[in-house]
Amino acid sequence: MTIAPERPAGARQWPLVGEPPYEGSRIPARVPTILDVPPALREVDDVLQVNFGPNHPSTHGVLRLIVDLDGEQVVGLSAVIGYLHTGFEKNMEQKTWWKAITYTARVDYVGYQNNELVFVLAIEKLLELEVPEKATWMRMLLCELNRIHSHLVYLGTSALELGAISMFWYCFRERETILDLFEMVCGARMHTRYFQAGGLAEDIPAGFFPECRKFVDLMPSALDDYLAILDRNQIWLKRTKGVGLLSAEDAIALGQSGPVLRASGVDWDLRRGAPYLAYDQVDFRVPVYTGCDVYDRYRVRMDEMAESTKIVRQCLDRLERMEGQPWIADDRKVVLPPREELHTSMESLIHHFKIVTEGYRVPEGEVYVAIESPRGESGVYVVSDGGPKPWRVHFRAPSFAALEATATCTHDALIADLIAIVGSLDAVMGDTDR
Amino acid sequence: MSWEEVPGFVEVKEGHGETTVVVERERIRDACLYARDELGFDFLADLVATDYLGWDEHAVSGYIGTAAGRDLNVPMTQGFQALPQGKPKRFSMSYHLLALKHGAPRVRLQCWLDDGDEIQSVVSVWPAADWHEREQFDLMGIQFVGHPNLTRILLEDDWEGHPLRKDYPIGGEPVRFSDAE
Amino acid sequence: MAKRLRDYGLQSERLLWPTKGPSKFEEELGVDELEQALGLTTLEKAVRWAQTKSMWPDTFGLACCAIEMMSIVGARYDLARFGMEAFRSSPRQADLLIVSGRVSHKMAAPLRQIYDQMLEPKWVIAMGACASSGGMFNNYAILQGVDRIVPVDIYVPFCPPRPEALMEGIIRLHEAHLAGVPPAYERRQVAT
Repeated sequence: MTIAPERPAGARQWPLVGEPPYEGSRIPARVPTILDVPPALREVDDVLQVNFGPNHPSTHGVLRLIVDLDGEQVVGLSAVIGYLHTGFEKNMEQKTWWKAITYTARVDYVGYQNNELVFVLAIEKLLELEVPEKATWMRMLLCELNRIHSHLVYLGTSALELGAISMFWYCFRERETILDLFEMVCGARMHTRYFQAGGLAEDIPAGFFPECRKFVDLMPSALDDYLAILDRNQIWLKRTKGVGLLSAEDAIALGQSGPVLRASGVDWDLRRGAPYLAYDQVDFRVPVYTGCDVYDRYRVRMDEMAESTKIVRQCLDRLERMEGQPWIADDRKVVLPPREELHTSMESLIHHFKIVTEGYRVPEGEVYVAIESPRGESGVYVVSDGGPKPWRVHFRAPSFAALEATATCTHDALIADLIAIVGSLDAVMGDTDR
Repeated sequence: MSWEEVPGFVEVKEGHGETTVVVERERIRDACLYARDELGFDFLADLVATDYLGWDEHAVSGYIGTAAGRDLNVPMTQGFQALPQGKPKRFSMSYHLLALKHGAPRVRLQCWLDDGDEIQSVVSVWPAADWHEREQFDLMGIQFVGHPNLTRILLEDDWEGHPLRKDYPIGGEPVRFSDAE
Repeated sequence: MAKRLRDYGLQSERLLWPTKGPSKFEEELGVDELEQALGLTTLEKAVRWAQTKSMWPDTFGLACCAIEMMSIVGARYDLARFGMEAFRSSPRQADLLIVSGRVSHKMAAPLRQIYDQMLEPKWVIAMGACASSGGMFNNYAILQGVDRIVPVDIYVPFCPPRPEALMEGIIRLHEAHLAGVPPAYERRQVAT
């Protein structure tokens, strides 16, 4: 493999904060995603190869790590994925556009509404469809609630793996409240399938806003609880500070995004850099830390939960004034007509029939839409042939990119650090394997 | 900055607010290097292969839109369907790039290949391409020259065939009362 | 008249559907041979009671259903009241395998290996549509139902099942075991 020529340092124009934690690049030279055992070590010492098999107690799903150990130190690492490969992309080519939206939620099954959102945004981009304001703000609200949900699952499970077992129950207590809100909106706790091409599937139910306000009011005190448990705990600090260093340059070269990139000092968030939905109309801060380690990734996610709560509060303020506004676009070629019209209008009946059986047709074209999911840049590349079914759907999975960085982060790490590092990258295997 | 200076430039297409720069397959690595160094696209978001086998064999239709917007009373294009424009070759390789600057400029570098054509790996340009190229090799069968570890990643090592190709069946088991679905 | 399982104490089915036909357990055991299959001594009843009260699951979370499986360990849907909050990482120490999530062909071999490593008596719950039948993924990559490779006791439908639905599955398993229904590998006479 020929190494690409070095770039002159002044050419980089990234929004960088802080100093890199190490000189140069730690990306392994032979294969960027495999940490090789130094040949000298193999001859001198006893290197044990251990399989962190697909079934292991850390709840990150079916990831297999083949780890070479010199005593307790990790000297070689290679990740094997694919144990959850579901063939989403092939399956979605067989279904109509409407049915394909159902599949997207299962890709990143912790931040499920973000996947639905990105696919629905791609369909709307191809259709050049305008979405009503109410739907945009509600989508934003639900995606931010989903971000809090995802970070709670991350926090609960990561803390569980590092030994702070009681955090799991605290995080899942708030998580249940969020899932109650999702259930109120559309009937299902997970995999809500609430977004349609054009807006929302149904109107926002009565009683949702007061319940959501109750959640928003209780969340800051819950976050204080979590900080109180973890942030001054010496064991937590010793196990996460200085572990899993990834400089900004390496992170960008490895395609990292989201909290991992922001913990490495790069001030980059798609909600700020390329606002979608109505993110340019809400006031929130993007947390950036410079430590490049596991601790800072944890802090970024904690701060993001607080900022998401702020965004949800602002969305609630706007949405409460939009009573009675339409929740889905008016384009009857794409959107089902209201059921009352089916009794009286022949065109409505025909359109309903055609949309449900054959599916609506999306004009020919290719688009790539990316949003800031809880894991980073989650994107979808959609090619339409003008028919009722997608021609090609490809998900840009942030977890796929995150796991590419395991080898680089695991320099001079012990086994216990490896668990912390894999947890901090927050990879969801459904997202990785698709 | 003009796109014509990208090495191997063929054409540039704009659509839905996105820029697609088509380059020659043989110069794709030079084009990527140029994009990274001269144009500042440091971030490889995605690397996708698309199989266009059977693209121009079935009719497509777009929308019927009236000047004032789409009208419920204007019928769909039954009988007036067009055949889509053929694609240059069977596979397209799209590299979605992002520059971490204000405004988040994005570009899609695209090149076309036939079945069996080889394409240079861009792992040395962006290390993030490692697993992306392995995935496209695994699912689509594209051979990347210069990739340090081109093995199957999502499927088992002894899997035969490349599932995402259009001539590979969907698999699974037959279901009563459903044709493809 | 042949005795039905509900006469042996299986509560949940009677409550939900009084006129229900034979359940899966009864079908597999044979409705007429139920008496012969379910004769239990007092010692056996006591042992079964103890097994029911501490049936430890294995951490076999694969996909979305795993997140709902984690939430039954949470405080709201408390699994600890059934003595089952101790999820064992080692299959050698586990009694119950809750296959939660879609099983790809690549994962099928590790799944069978985990099942083989468990010691008798052992039960399998296929949680969710994907584990029961392949779910919405009728394609080249997903095993169309985990009962193609391991014998399944309880199928819990939905995508993903509510924690209460999973709990109902677990409770039905407990009741069936208390009533004397043998685990699936015995009923179907497959290798364990």
